[in-house]
Amino acid sequence: MNPETGAKLDASDAALIQRIVQRDESALAALYDRYAGMLSSVLNRILRDTQAAEEILQDIFYQLWRTSSRFDPSRGSLAGWLTVMARNRAISRLRKHNPSSGEQLDENTVAVPTNLDNVVAQKEMMGRVKGALGKLPQEQRAVLELAYFEGLTHSEIAQRTGDPLGTVKTRLRSAVETLKRTLQP
Amino acid sequence: MNGHPTREEDFDLYALGALEGDEKQAIESHVASCADCARKLAEARGRVAMISFAAPRVEPAPHVKELLLARVREEGRSAAPERAVAPREADSSSSGGVFGRWWTAVLAPVGVALAIATILLWNQNQRLNREMADLHAALVTQQKTLEEAHHAADLLAARDTIVVPLAPMPGMPKGMGRVTYNSDMGMLMYDGKVDPAPANKSYQLWLFPMKGDPINAGVFNPATDEISHWMMKMSPGVTPASFAITLEPAGGMPHPTGPKVLAGSVPVLKG
Repeated sequence: MNPETGAKLDASDAALIQRIVQRDESALAALYDRYAGMLSSVLNRILRDTQAAEEILQDIFYQLWRTSSRFDPSRGSLAGWLTVMARNRAISRLRKHNPSSGEQLDENTVAVPTNLDNVVAQKEMMGRVKGALGKLPQEQRAVLELAYFEGLTHSEIAQRTGDPLGTVKTRLRSAVETLKRTLQP
Repeated sequence: MNGHPTREEDFDLYALGALEGDEKQAIESHVASCADCARKLAEARGRVAMISFAAPRVEPAPHVKELLLARVREEGRSAAPERAVAPREADSSSSGGVFGRWWTAVLAPVGVALAIATILLWNQNQRLNREMADLHAALVTQQKTLEEAHHAADLLAARDTIVVPLAPMPGMPKGMGRVTYNSDMGMLMYDGKVDPAPANKSYQLWLFPMKGDPINAGVFNPATDEISHWMMKMSPGVTPASFAITLEPAGGMPHPTGPKVLAGSVPVLKG
């Protein structure tokens, strides 16, 4: 990630969004520096294709530029919204669905467990998530990753792994319970 | 289901996209009318989104940001500022008597005609805006291609650019590749063809420097007979000893963990 400098480091997401509404390119650049690495990682993990990941990454920030006035920071987290959008778009591409062009900044409110607007916070969260997933039994971690990174439903996971549907549901429920406990503020 | 979900994890499973059929619809219909559960779903979305942090960290290439900002600047140059057209209010207080009614009779149809014309112009404006956006997207693509061509030309023309052929390693999927690299420019170009990666695996190109850890130079999953090609900006001043493509878990890894599929060393110049 490119290091953020000067006043950009202190500016909140909400303040930067406000500057984007006023067509301040440097605010968009600051938000890009803040979140592009985080989004690029999940896009590459889902798509396994650097070029496709770059295209979606650019499109997400371009959409942020175009529709920033609709974003209400009091209703959710920008980091969360960007991550959800990156995942949705990557899975649509992966599964050959039409890109979900209907996503808007005011839809699908996302409340992340902590502020992620700096590299230190992101690294801390990465440690917590990797720690939580590392403690999961392998079969629970596998179903969680199939659901998240490949966008598979319960039945699709059962079909993929050959495990009974009930087993898949139990494993996934246990995995999200553990994740929830770990990420609880 | 019209009541609250019986288990809190249902929100997480919904946010994950794992629920189907009735289970999925039950959450959707309930959340639409229950503010408390809508809040819980927002929290679940945020929690589930954190699974992204399990992915290996992959920084985007610098040209992605450059292209984004170029696209934004291009929009700024081409888009005319939108102006709201406020219709003038009719001064009805001064219109009295026969004269006033005559004007009203004339102006009413004119007003309707103007309203229709405004709607038609607005629609036309929207269509032109859409066409402009399409043209802009095409322009951005062309700019990207042109910039890549310029970068490739600069790279190939530079005196100290090296070309390192990558040869297949024994027992690995067949293929061949080539890395073109310039340390001072910090520019790398890869071209190559290799069999598709096995399920749940990706190929990853690495620069092995003379000193220090291997550097990620791109993750890719080619289709059958697909030629892979990309350019990327890297930190200038790194002197490579060799390049290799390894087979890694899907999405790539922060450090090479899998077997080398293609590899090549930087030729040592004599003299």
